[in-house]
Amino acid sequence: MADLQELYKAIVEGNLNVAKSITQEAMEEQIEPQVIINEHMSKAMQEIGKRFEEGKAFVPELLMSARAMKGALDIVKPHMAQSGTTSLGTVVIGTVKGDLHDIGKNLVASMLEGCGFKVVNLGSDISSDKFVAAVKEHHAQIVCLSALLTTTMHYMQKVIQALEEEGIRQQVKVMIGGAPVSEAFAHQIGADGYSENANAAVTLARTLVSA
Amino acid sequence: MTSRERVKTALNHQSPDRIPIDFGSTSVTGIHCKVVESLRDYYGLEKHPVRIIEPFQMLGEVEADLQEALGIDCVSVFGPRNMFDIDESQLHQQRTPWGQEVMIASGIDLTPDKEGDVYIYAKGDRTFPPSAVMPSNCYFIDAVERQHFVDDDQLKAEDNLEEYGSLSDEDLQHFVQASQKAAGTGKAVIASFGGTALGDVAFIPGMGLKDPKGVRNVSEWYMSTVMRKEFVHELFDKQTEIAIQNYSRLWQAIGNNVDVVFTCGTDFGTQNSQFCSLDTYRELWLPYHKRLNDWIHQHTTWKVFKHTCGAVVPIIPGLIEAGFDILNPVQINAKDMDSTFLKKEFGKDLTFWGGGIDTQRILPDGTPEEIRSHVLKQCEILGRDGGFIFNAVHNIQANVPIENVVALMNTLNELKTL
Ligand code: B12
Repeated sequence: MADLQELYKAIVEGNLNVAKSITQEAMEEQIEPQVIINEHMSKAMQEIGKRFEEGKAFVPELLMSARAMKGALDIVKPHMAQSGTTSLGTVVIGTVKGDLHDIGKNLVASMLEGCGFKVVNLGSDISSDKFVAAVKEHHAQIVCLSALLTTTMHYMQKVIQALEEEGIRQQVKVMIGGAPVSEAFAHQIGADGYSENANAAVTLARTLVSA
Repeated sequence: MTSRERVKTALNHQSPDRIPIDFGSTSVTGIHCKVVESLRDYYGLEKHPVRIIEPFQMLGEVEADLQEALGIDCVSVFGPRNMFDIDESQLHQQRTPWGQEVMIASGIDLTPDKEGDVYIYAKGDRTFPPSAVMPSNCYFIDAVERQHFVDDDQLKAEDNLEEYGSLSDEDLQHFVQASQKAAGTGKAVIASFGGTALGDVAFIPGMGLKDPKGVRNVSEWYMSTVMRKEFVHELFDKQTEIAIQNYSRLWQAIGNNVDVVFTCGTDFGTQNSQFCSLDTYRELWLPYHKRLNDWIHQHTTWKVFKHTCGAVVPIIPGLIEAGFDILNPVQINAKDMDSTFLKKEFGKDLTFWGGGIDTQRILPDGTPEEIRSHVLKQCEILGRDGGFIFNAVHNIQANVPIENVVALMNTLNELKTL
């Protein structure tokens, strides 16, 4: 029997090989992808996210956990369609035009993915056109915008404008984050939510899709 | 007091006649070329293309006439080649994508491609894939990561040491001449000899290498500090060994023509946290930082300058233990980086080189009056009993309103006459 408690541990500790082999075993035993994701993977990511939030784990540890989680998820993915597993929603994420900082954005992407969202990570330096196109193509429910520079954070408003102009603003929730961004700024530019860290981003995304 | 005396007095934690000022002496205390041009216009200085002294961040040269106008006390000594390992002695005039005429290293061609992106090639060699890109509508350059698969059985410290080696006689001569010229200005001389930053993610992608080996992806690097500790130790150990040999020759050839050496720009802080714990800093970095710093203090008169962004209060005790004299950029807007606290807690051990003005809100978005009162307050807190060199929190970015930069400079002028 695949010991899924060990999967949880492997992800929290960032052990890729162990995470992969347990997941492989679980798939052979035909354990439901939903169970693996919701009961184990997502809990593990939340645990490491919580430690990160509390300053007990740091960027390297979170990256290790994300890597282990992705290794496991890649094994689960092919089985998801046939078992009718649905994601919590589709998220398009990117760092806005003119900004090249991507560490925090990638952590948010991993947390969302590990917690059951389908994530389309566009990368950094992303124009409003690209955000709009990706939302349309992937029928996203959420757009996540990241900016680390005071000189690029204002671009987030342009993305929101572009979504409005394309008539798809009502279809998606816009979440924003990054070092200089704040709750007040989110209000000011008409975003639907802000969070300070990757863990809080998951909670926010869950609330937004169920709203 | 001469500028140099003023800086040295502050570094010795005594009160100089006024607070010393730096803009432009290093790659982390500079001004974006766009703002340099606006400042030159504002002060009515000769119109000519601004020289790019650091292409990665597109920092402009603060020339002697502008230094004069701003009352700057520090001058730079940079290496003969930039981050792309391109010769900095040969320049040509180029137009930036935002339409500014600049003088930049000849090996860099700022002509955008169809998408509006500008590509940079290591050593200027276009037969290899580009090592960096300035994307359209960006005001600075970013690394293009070229990470080969990392095979842990084959990975060697040497793979990540390719860019670090013994100084050539020519390069040594460059530093000797540059330092002599700098010292002749009567200002404090800040040297960036290069090669000493341990695990700085700005350098990890190896933008000066045509086909870098080893760990060259930023995430892979961060993970290596957890899962490849042996490798990291060996890399830091060898890099430090090379650094000490180079520093020994530099000291013999240059001596006290240089006052301060900028050795390490590795960021340990994020907005609300750190990139590692103090324990990890002590285990992985401290032994090597301390080895170089101890060597410098035992053999030279140089003071050592450490740059780290972010909320680094928990790490600062480690930096002091490692023997750094100077902390930059003192990111006062990050978590717990309260100026009064920093001065009280660490002001005896460290000189704060930065923290003079917040650059996340006040400088870009504040009113001139807000800027004035903020700067006066920062100077009062951080400037007490020396131990403070005025600089903004990191480089002044492109597109900061010129009125705000002028409000900052006017406040500094006002302080001089007090
Ligand atoms: C690492 C770093 C870099 C690296 C980037 C590497 C990379 N691939 O990303 C390097 C060294 C290349 C770099 C370069 C520059 N940087 Co920098 N950089 C930082 C630093 C130290 C940490 C950023 C980071 O990665 N944090 C770790 C992650 C985990 O945190 P985070 O990004 O904040 O993300 C978290 C939250 O914000 C949130 N979040 C993030 N995005 C989103 C999105 C959504 C939707 C949500 C809900 C949440 C969310 O969740 C994340 C996880 O918890 C910051 C310091 C700081 N105070 O933040 C400066 C900083 C951002 N940089 C700064 C600057 C100015 C630059 C430069 C532009 C140039 C310069 N120095 O002149 C250059 C640009 C050149 C270039 N080529 O990019 C300034 C910006 C100042 C300003 N005015 O805004 C800062 C604040 C430093 C400072 N001292 O002032 N930088």
